[in-house]
Amino acid sequence: MKLNEINEPILRVEGVRKSFTSGDRKIEVLRDVAFAISAGESASIRGESGSGKSTLLNLFAGLDAPDAGRIELEGRTRIDAAARGRLIGIVFQSFYLIPELNAYENVLMAARVAGVLNAETRQRATELLRRVGLADRAHHVPAQLSGGERQRVAVARALINSPRLLLADEPTGNLDEKTGDGVIDVLLGLCDETKTALVLVTHNAAHASRCAQKFLLHEGVLSPAS
Amino acid sequence: MPWYLYLALKQLFPTGKRLTFFTAISVLGVAAGVWLLVVVTGVMGGFGHKYRGLIVDTQGDIQVRARGLSRQPAEVMKHLEAIPGVVATSPSAEGIVMLRVGNKPTFPGIQGVDIRRVENVIPLRRHIIAGSLDDLDDDTVILSRGLAASLGVWIGSNVEVISPATLEKWQRDEIMLPTELTVVGIFEIGHQQLDGSVAIVTLRRMQDLYDLGEAVHGYNVKLAPGEDVVEAAQRINATLPATSGLYASTWMEAHPGFLFALQMEKIMVTLMVSFVVLIAMFLVTALLLIAVVRKTREIGLLGALGASAWQTAAGFCLQGFIVGTLGTLAGLAAGFLTLANIDSIFRALGSITGSWEEMVAIYQFTQVPAHITAGEIAGIAGYAISMATLAGFIAAWRAAKLKPVEALRSE
Ligand SMILES: Nc1ncnc2c1ncn2[C@@H]1O[C@H](COP(=O)(O)OP(=O)(O)OP(=O)(O)O)[C@@H](O)[C@H]1O
Ligand SMILES: [Mg+2]
Repeated sequence: MKLNEINEPILRVEGVRKSFTSGDRKIEVLRDVAFAISAGESASIRGESGSGKSTLLNLFAGLDAPDAGRIELEGRTRIDAAARGRLIGIVFQSFYLIPELNAYENVLMAARVAGVLNAETRQRATELLRRVGLADRAHHVPAQLSGGERQRVAVARALINSPRLLLADEPTGNLDEKTGDGVIDVLLGLCDETKTALVLVTHNAAHASRCAQKFLLHEGVLSPAS
Repeated sequence: MPWYLYLALKQLFPTGKRLTFFTAISVLGVAAGVWLLVVVTGVMGGFGHKYRGLIVDTQGDIQVRARGLSRQPAEVMKHLEAIPGVVATSPSAEGIVMLRVGNKPTFPGIQGVDIRRVENVIPLRRHIIAGSLDDLDDDTVILSRGLAASLGVWIGSNVEVISPATLEKWQRDEIMLPTELTVVGIFEIGHQQLDGSVAIVTLRRMQDLYDLGEAVHGYNVKLAPGEDVVEAAQRINATLPATSGLYASTWMEAHPGFLFALQMEKIMVTLMVSFVVLIAMFLVTALLLIAVVRKTREIGLLGALGASAWQTAAGFCLQGFIVGTLGTLAGLAAGFLTLANIDSIFRALGSITGSWEEMVAIYQFTQVPAHITAGEIAGIAGYAISMATLAGFIAAWRAAKLKPVEALRSE
């Protein structure tokens, strides 16, 4: 009973279907997806380009609605935007930093939007930037940062609100191998420390294998991969 | 501070940059529109205000004119001063005389004023630029500046006055010497016509020159401050019997044409300049819409961070509002600065185009006046700020319609 409570999934997905219509053609992207992840766990999702990985993450993040099926976040199916912003951190393939803000301000922006800007989050922003190795870049604007540095700012931003769930969509796709490895190290390390559940979408087999659970998305179905 | 206000400010004034192109251009656009509106309203209003001031300064708030002569001035004034709102009256008589120095004749308008009363109604003393009103008695005269100049006289000079009554007597072969008056003052009002050829004498002297006996031509009336001139004139007329031959008119009634023309001009020009502001707003709208398109993915990101559509929209709306406010402040400052120096600016422009003399001839003013009311300023500021906010709103509406997923997918 107690064990069960601890392992109550943060995210539970059942029977999710999603299709898009472009013109008169209907593309069934997700046919019947089931998935669950609990605190402290990590899962990787691989799949061909166009297989629906980003679509799936958007559904997980609550940015899009499924055609059918259930998506529960901490047992709730409906959740307001600001609460979702506190609960879920997202790292995108393209970093999506706000060009007018420096690294530190970009990290804090997630706390502002979620309505949790305070002395503690400010301190945490500095700490996170230090952890991703950008202590001396805190006051640089995105245009003054390299790709890998920008992605690490995005990682820090995704973690500023101490989310229960971190969704990362090909966070190393734009980076060279060495820089990419570094970002994954940081991501896994920080999630492990804070018991944040991590869903990592990646094409990189080495990165995928570093997650505890491995999945493959193929023809609209998510299945465990060896 | 709500995050969308923070972001609006940051997007207008980014970290580490002094000014963005967008901010500079849109603030300048709004400022230019506001500046134009302030200057046009001020100059147009200035003519009307100055004209009114001139009339009131030379004729009082209300003029009561007699058809023919008013023969019992003391009684009429007693009657007028008993009317609520009337604080003072002064009798006057006017006409045209021949003024001569040596054998150089001029034919100025002449006005007889009651020394004891005139200052209660007309701030004559304010316009005396040489000599003194105190020296005016039955043997002296005060000349307008233009008249003094054309006669070549100054304080202390003597002038000969020949009135129509004198001429009549000459016709009947009566012996009568021209009246000799000493110049004791020069006045200047700032209106070409009024300063051109006017002489002021005492009422006593004027009655003498025109053989009026005790009679006068009319009365100038001063009202209590804040009194509505039109209402007061009606009130006065209601008490004047038709048989008295007296009629009270306001400065507006007395000079309707010029004021009407000014008002029409003001409306037309204000309307045209309002369109200039409107165009400035299109600029702001376009620039903000470009920003929305350029920032589509950031808008998606904000959605992913948990922002609601209306919060993101508010950010753009606020940008319009901030741009509008800054532009308005800058425009008002520039406008006031221009109005404060409007005379020298017009003179400079006039000397470039050579049209200064014509302007003076048309508007009769030797100084370009400026007058703008608090209400007009509030109107201009309200108009500009609300238009800029509207521009922001249009952009915001575009932003709010974006769905985060789609915004993030956009290239
Ligand atoms: N809004 C949409 N309208 C129409 N089709 C869409 C839309 N979003 C996604 N799709 C389609 O759904 C499919 C899956 O897209 P998705 O972005 O999820 O793929 P992905 O697995 O993330 O691919 P990649 O590895 O290239 O990022 C694609 O064929 C895409 O064309
Ligand atoms: Mg993808």
